[in-house]
Amino acid sequence: MAAKKKKHTKALRKINGTVSSASASQLQAFMLHVICGLGLASAFWVAHNVYSISLISDPSQTLRLIWLVEALIVILFYSLFRQNPNECSYLKAVGRGLLGLPAGAVMNAFGAIVLGAPVHIHYFRKTLDWSLLMSVFTFVPAASIFGSSWIDWQRIFAHTKPIGCIDYMICLPAHGAVIGAWFGAWPMPLDWERPWQVFVLLPLNMICYM
Amino acid sequence: MLSHANRGRGMLAAATMSGKYGGRIWAFSVLLVILVLHTVAILLFTRGFLLTRTELPHYSQSSDVFQSPCIHPPSSSSAAQVEEQEQENPFHPRSNHSPNLNHTNPNLGYWTEPIVDRLVIIVLDALRFDFVAPSTFFEAKKPWMDRLTVLHELASRSGSSAKIFKAVADPPTTSLQRLKGLTTGGLPTFIDVGNSFGAPAIIEDNIVYQLVQNGKRVVMMGDDTWLQLFPHHFNSCYPFPSFNVKDLHTVDDGCIKHLLPSLYEEDWDVLIAHFLGVDHAGHVFGVDSTPMVEKLEQYNGILEKVVEVLESQSGPGGLHHNTLLLVMGDHGQTINGDHGGGNAEEVETSIFALSMKPPSSVPLELDTSSCQLDLDGRKMCISYIQQLDFAVTVSALLGLPFPFGRISLFAATLVCLTFFFSIGSVNPELYALAGETWNLESSNVGDFQNQSGLEKWMQNYVNVLCINSWQVKKYIDVYSASSVIGFSIEDLLHVSDVYAQAQENWSHTVKDVVLCKTESCHPSLAALQRQIDAYLNFLASVAELARSKWTEFNLKTMGIGFCMMLSSIIIQFLMMKRVDQLCAFYFPSQGNSMISFGTIFAHIAVLIRACSVLSNSYILEEGKVAIFLLATTGMLCLRYSIMTKKMLLEALALVLLIPILRLTIELGQLKQTVISVFLKIHPSWMQGIAEDSPVAMYIAAIAPMLALVLLAYILYQSIAHRSCQGIFKYVITGTVFSYALIALYWALESKLLSLPMVYEGIRKNVIPRIIYAVGFLQLSSLAAAQLFNGKKTSNWEENIVIKTVAMLSAWSSTVIILSGKQGALIAVASVIGGWCILRLKNLEHHAKNGNAGLSNFYSSPVAQWSLLAVCLFFCTGHWCAFDGLRYAAAFIGFDEFNLIRQAALLSIETFGFSHILPILGLPFLVACQYSCGQAENRKKLILMHLFIVYLIFGFIMATTVTFTILCVTIQRRHLMVWGLFAPKFVFDVVGLILTDTIICLASLYYFE
Repeated sequence: MAAKKKKHTKALRKINGTVSSASASQLQAFMLHVICGLGLASAFWVAHNVYSISLISDPSQTLRLIWLVEALIVILFYSLFRQNPNECSYLKAVGRGLLGLPAGAVMNAFGAIVLGAPVHIHYFRKTLDWSLLMSVFTFVPAASIFGSSWIDWQRIFAHTKPIGCIDYMICLPAHGAVIGAWFGAWPMPLDWERPWQVFVLLPLNMICYM
Repeated sequence: MLSHANRGRGMLAAATMSGKYGGRIWAFSVLLVILVLHTVAILLFTRGFLLTRTELPHYSQSSDVFQSPCIHPPSSSSAAQVEEQEQENPFHPRSNHSPNLNHTNPNLGYWTEPIVDRLVIIVLDALRFDFVAPSTFFEAKKPWMDRLTVLHELASRSGSSAKIFKAVADPPTTSLQRLKGLTTGGLPTFIDVGNSFGAPAIIEDNIVYQLVQNGKRVVMMGDDTWLQLFPHHFNSCYPFPSFNVKDLHTVDDGCIKHLLPSLYEEDWDVLIAHFLGVDHAGHVFGVDSTPMVEKLEQYNGILEKVVEVLESQSGPGGLHHNTLLLVMGDHGQTINGDHGGGNAEEVETSIFALSMKPPSSVPLELDTSSCQLDLDGRKMCISYIQQLDFAVTVSALLGLPFPFGRISLFAATLVCLTFFFSIGSVNPELYALAGETWNLESSNVGDFQNQSGLEKWMQNYVNVLCINSWQVKKYIDVYSASSVIGFSIEDLLHVSDVYAQAQENWSHTVKDVVLCKTESCHPSLAALQRQIDAYLNFLASVAELARSKWTEFNLKTMGIGFCMMLSSIIIQFLMMKRVDQLCAFYFPSQGNSMISFGTIFAHIAVLIRACSVLSNSYILEEGKVAIFLLATTGMLCLRYSIMTKKMLLEALALVLLIPILRLTIELGQLKQTVISVFLKIHPSWMQGIAEDSPVAMYIAAIAPMLALVLLAYILYQSIAHRSCQGIFKYVITGTVFSYALIALYWALESKLLSLPMVYEGIRKNVIPRIIYAVGFLQLSSLAAAQLFNGKKTSNWEENIVIKTVAMLSAWSSTVIILSGKQGALIAVASVIGGWCILRLKNLEHHAKNGNAGLSNFYSSPVAQWSLLAVCLFFCTGHWCAFDGLRYAAAFIGFDEFNLIRQAALLSIETFGFSHILPILGLPFLVACQYSCGQAENRKKLILMHLFIVYLIFGFIMATTVTFTILCVTIQRRHLMVWGLFAPKFVFDVVGLILTDTIICLASLYYFE
């Protein structure tokens, strides 16, 4: 009981800390999202013009390129907004983000498989790259900012009760990406027989992201 | 103000209800009204939707052909002669064969005798195209290819008059429909599928009738469906029962026994032998199996012998001097051995034709063959034919004495002759009237002869086409005159236009012929070619028109049916609201009435599922869509449970169960044991375990047994922990006994135990019958207990749980043995799924701690429950098509066919896991509810909860079916309507009626 109370007070302190550190970041949050969006666009541009690959012709490689670029941007920039900047160094936050990437990928892959992604060695790479990209949008920001603070995670992902600007910064893209992916899976069985149907999820992702 | 009014209305409702509130009587009558409403609506709609094409009971007469513009008697005298001849002997079939008549009208034509005198038709049921064509025509060589080598040899022999055709059938590709199509040259429609169990005689004009009318003697052997279609037509027949799919050999052995001796006989003109082995091997074992290869090799041997006999007798004056051999399939089959739909694999079959005479050439324009080298480097050509054209072509071959006959003519004729109203118009007698003996050998003398031969061939061909087109035109005219809703006026005008053009062209051509009687001024080849093209164009446009608009829909009855369906949904909805009010009146709830996200999503999920039937691809992937939605609800539950830190285990179990179910859906569509299919699909995963290795076999054999033991243990627990009354205890013990029998049955079936043949009969029939009998006994004793047990218990929840367990257990043993080994595994999965759902149901309630009305409270779990039921339908290897039925299940325990018994078993197997068990298990959702209130109130409460749960379930089903009905109405002109939408409609409708019936019965059983 005492431990629980202690934890609670700690959480409260943390929340206060977050709010105090994120007080000035209205504009910053906007800038961050713009940068992420630009990163996404540039990754597409590079994929299309430099490597001349696209999601339809070469899904796995394109996805890899995009998540690499995005992961770089997301980890580096979100780590700037880490919780308790005094106790936690910038490098540590970056490390947390890097650790969060594979962990989130595992969670996303699990979700995708439950929802119907094909389980086969042949699809392994595509599923892996897709879940890494999803992880970049969902898990990595939270990992960089909160680290292992379970209460904050729960607040964002289970209760969906964001407080303050930073919470929104994490919450909106994550939920947007998940909902976008869900809707993207939706038209897959349609028999228009267009290859891009499989990748409707990405544009939708981005729409939700914006 | 508003709430006051509401409250007032609620009180009114309560008052009116409590007046006649016998409880169960009232609830039952509501459910019964819904059942009746649904039944009437569906009957009305079906009457409008599944109309058969109007069958014209007209039969053509020999004299019909004189009305056609194609016969131009060159002189009045000959015409008079013709008429005279006709008057003398208008309908006597064989009189015109007398040789003196052949020479009465030397000017009229070129024909004297039929191209073929005798015809041997060997039908191999479900003959895939790649069984016949050499493997070089396909991407990869599969084990079942290149087995009918004798056909390859004959077809590739140089100068041979044998040819392989790729024949394309029209859906529905069930044997009865195809036989009808083959013999009538029409497009049998969907409603006939329903008659597949008891085939009705054909009342349309058909080739067998015409053959008999014209004095041909027809012999039939094999599949007894022929006899049902043509009960009185055959001179002699040797029918064998066709329905038992497990029996690979009876029909074939019977055929073989009679076929070869018959070939030496003289007492027939047309011989039909219908082999069923390949079809049955496909249904039971699939295409890629040893029995299939064995069957094909057996057929190869038989065909070799047949060809040998024919060729030995093919000399001049021999018995088979002028015989045509046709080896053909009636439809194809998928790799799993299914057929019925419109897939390429199902509609592509083959016709092999062998004539005993040398072939002649066909104009290049009419040649559709594609050539490739076969494995031995021989050149093989394969032509193309629509199965639709078969009947007319055969009639032309038997009836129309073509000078060049043989295969090449066959090829060209096959391509084009389409609908025929009456085969008789091209029958031999009338053409014989105008005959002049054609010197058969002259065509082979030299190039010049060949050239003129080709020309004459084309001329004759044009003649045939002319008559054919005239017939088709007449058919269309009569059809649109006699049927209520025929073709549209624009279509008819278009067809008439095309026909008029062709006819005009024809009269020019004919004028040329008539004007110049010298040999030198025949119409040029080019003109003939133009004429042929004109007719072919006409025939093709008619075929296309008929394909697209064959069926008639009665939009009025369809509309009434649909409106009744809609009104029933509204009634269900109002009922739900009313029970809600009633409940709120009796048990006023405190707290806010916030609707949770889960509830909203349940509504969305039902709506999405209902809307998705509007697309054919969603119907194909229906199982996966249901799984997707179920998984999403599972994920939401997981999120809630993480949020509240409760029942994490149940949520995780549900989420983990879903991928397993999905895997079973993918595997379930391949009808084999789970393990071996798994190895086939994922060879890279399990390279260590060979397919036939003992380990895999042991796993395949033992896993279902373990599942059975687990189920029995659950049952045992359920009676051990409760104060269980006598009858229920005995019922559940009986089920455990049945499980032991099932385990024994499977153990004896597997190859792990070597079994003397003596016990085989006992195993096959006695054990399943005991299980059915036990199940029946259990059900009747439960019903009797319900009728005569007046004892009231105070513990309602417990009572309901025990009743439900007893009811489910009574059904489960029968359903499991019918579903085969996967049945036990699926049963365990459904128990786990159901348990998770009913545990998670309370999660939201605890989380919210408010009451937003009963219907809102239950909508989420009931929606999950129904999604799970849908998934189970697909997991057990079904899909919404007639090839998705597992016919073999109908013969577990029985060898002989009895319509009612086998249909009952088949429907229990099909709807057992998806409808019967989930609906009977629904009271679990109510019974595991938190307890509140006093005893007297609780009874009322439980009754209301049960009632609303059943209402919601019925409502969800009815919504889906209504959308299916809407969908088939919208898509009734869709290409896939008979292949996809109509079967889906039939399955849904049958499911809905079954659901309503079971709900009614369940309400009698559970409501007290």
